[in-house]
Amino acid sequence: MLTMYRKENISVNENIQTQLEAFERIAELAVSNGIADSKQAVVDGLLQREKESTTGFMEGFAIPHTKTTAVTEASVIILKTNDGIEWNSLDGSPVRFIISLLIPESEAGTTHLTLLSALSRMLIHSDVREQLMQANNATEILTVLTSVMQSN
Amino acid sequence: MMSKIKIIAATGCPTGIAHTFMAAEALSIAAKKLGVEIKVETHGQVGIENALSKEDIRQADGVIIAADKDVQAERFIGKPVVDVSVARGIREAEKLIQTIIDGKATVYKASKKQDDSSTDEEQSTSGSSIGRSIYKHLMNGVSHMLPFVVGGGVLIAISFLFGIYSADPTHESYNEFAAMLKDVGGIGFALMVPILAAYIAESIAKRPGLVVGFIGGMIAYNGGAGFLGGIVAGFLAGYIILLLGKLLQGLPKSLDGLKAIFLYPVIGIFLTGFIMTYLVNPMTAVNEAMMNFLSGFQDANPIVLGLIVGAMSAFDMGGPINKAAYVTGTALLAEGNFYFMAGVSAACITPPLVTAFAVLFFKKYFNQSERNAGLVNFILGATHITEGAIPFAAKNPIVVLPILMIASAISAILTYLFGVQVPAPHGGFLVLPVVTGAVKWLIAILAGSLVGAFLYGMAKKREANKKQEEQTIDAA
Repeated sequence: MLTMYRKENISVNENIQTQLEAFERIAELAVSNGIADSKQAVVDGLLQREKESTTGFMEGFAIPHTKTTAVTEASVIILKTNDGIEWNSLDGSPVRFIISLLIPESEAGTTHLTLLSALSRMLIHSDVREQLMQANNATEILTVLTSVMQSN
Repeated sequence: MMSKIKIIAATGCPTGIAHTFMAAEALSIAAKKLGVEIKVETHGQVGIENALSKEDIRQADGVIIAADKDVQAERFIGKPVVDVSVARGIREAEKLIQTIIDGKATVYKASKKQDDSSTDEEQSTSGSSIGRSIYKHLMNGVSHMLPFVVGGGVLIAISFLFGIYSADPTHESYNEFAAMLKDVGGIGFALMVPILAAYIAESIAKRPGLVVGFIGGMIAYNGGAGFLGGIVAGFLAGYIILLLGKLLQGLPKSLDGLKAIFLYPVIGIFLTGFIMTYLVNPMTAVNEAMMNFLSGFQDANPIVLGLIVGAMSAFDMGGPINKAAYVTGTALLAEGNFYFMAGVSAACITPPLVTAFAVLFFKKYFNQSERNAGLVNFILGATHITEGAIPFAAKNPIVVLPILMIASAISAILTYLFGVQVPAPHGGFLVLPVVTGAVKWLIAILAGSLVGAFLYGMAKKREANKKQEEQTIDAA
């Protein structure tokens, strides 16, 4: 059930300056890793959601997400950037840790959705956020996520 | 040790994937930290999870809504509620919970629709939301007034058993105990209109409305404006407080205490008192005008006279128009005209009997408290205590008053046609032994009451059917 978190979907040391660049990078990873079949559809979906209200959270975290037909498999794509990105976040802080949730339109099963909601809940805990910010590579991030999700 | 504060919350966001749950988690963590119990219902993509039960809602000390979508907030009417965006639920969870703990949350009021499953007293007479909320306010006033009417009315009725003049110290039938009963019962009656006004205002504007409505109602009562004046006072007081709330919105939060204990009562009482005083001023003039009008008809044909006397007596039951008929009756009685008073008494006895027969024959269209009050009205009607019908009329004056007026008019017309003579100004059926044509008088009153009961029952039936249709539509 933890297949949603895969090492190849986590990328650190990203040199991204804007939100749009982040979305394009997420879509690029999604398509190249076989999660989505259209880069543009993913970017559009993420932008659309952002228009409704910001997904920028606190202390440098953001959780852009979308539900679109272009996504073939419910997945989590994580980007950690070198510089803070303006995201209109809840506490106004620039975003450095992006956890993107991609959901297929046809997602009827609740398993994935429940997992995603669990992930969202997890980010509320400041100790989890600290551990994730301190993680320096994909393996470390995956370890933090796995241990936190299993302990829940 | 005090039991833990219980808070319930509902979170939701348009996509229902992330923020809904982040807010739920943030609230749970904050609750734990602040030592309160919390249950959070989430309106996410997968639907409603951890749903709040009616029992949860009932037990809760406060409600937090952190949502950017509809979370069926109408369930929380009457509860202290903090209603914010889902983002604030995430960011300021502790602050929101602290607001509930400090008792600073505002009580949630109906904005669009109301929960009409809560009590059967909430039955609506109209499909529109304004009609529903007016009905709700009236109901709140009537339900608080009812025990005053029943308690006061029955004590007064019992005092009549000692003789209808038993409370008059100068009369030979004077009885100290009977006088006491009548005085105590009379206090219940004197408070009836103020209580009605106070709780109409309380329903509109909560606690700050209560005192203002009370005083407005007292002015209506003292000014002889009757229960219709009380209804006016209640709505006036309630909306004046709501208006004050809007006007005082700009004041700093630190003045909230001053608002509740000083500004609302002082300004609210002044404004309501000022307006009510000028509204009830013409009541004496109305009363005199009606008496002049009526005395011009005293020798008119029985049908016209009966129609006028009946309609006047039932119109405001204790207000200026009813009193005009009654006082004219007692004045003519002093002049030796026993015919006129017979019609007035018949018209005054009829309204409570209408309600009594209606609850007897159309039981299922009345709720339990109406049924009980209706049966008591056999006693109040039989003893000429018209006020017994007021709680029924006040719920829906526009429909009920015309029915009572028709019923009273029939009773009065028949009384005049039969040439009945009643030499006593009060007492209802207790004075039957001295009535000339007692059986005819009973028949006249019974006829009017039964016709009225039938009309009233039909009106209630229509109302119930209408409500049922609405519910069927809602369900579909």
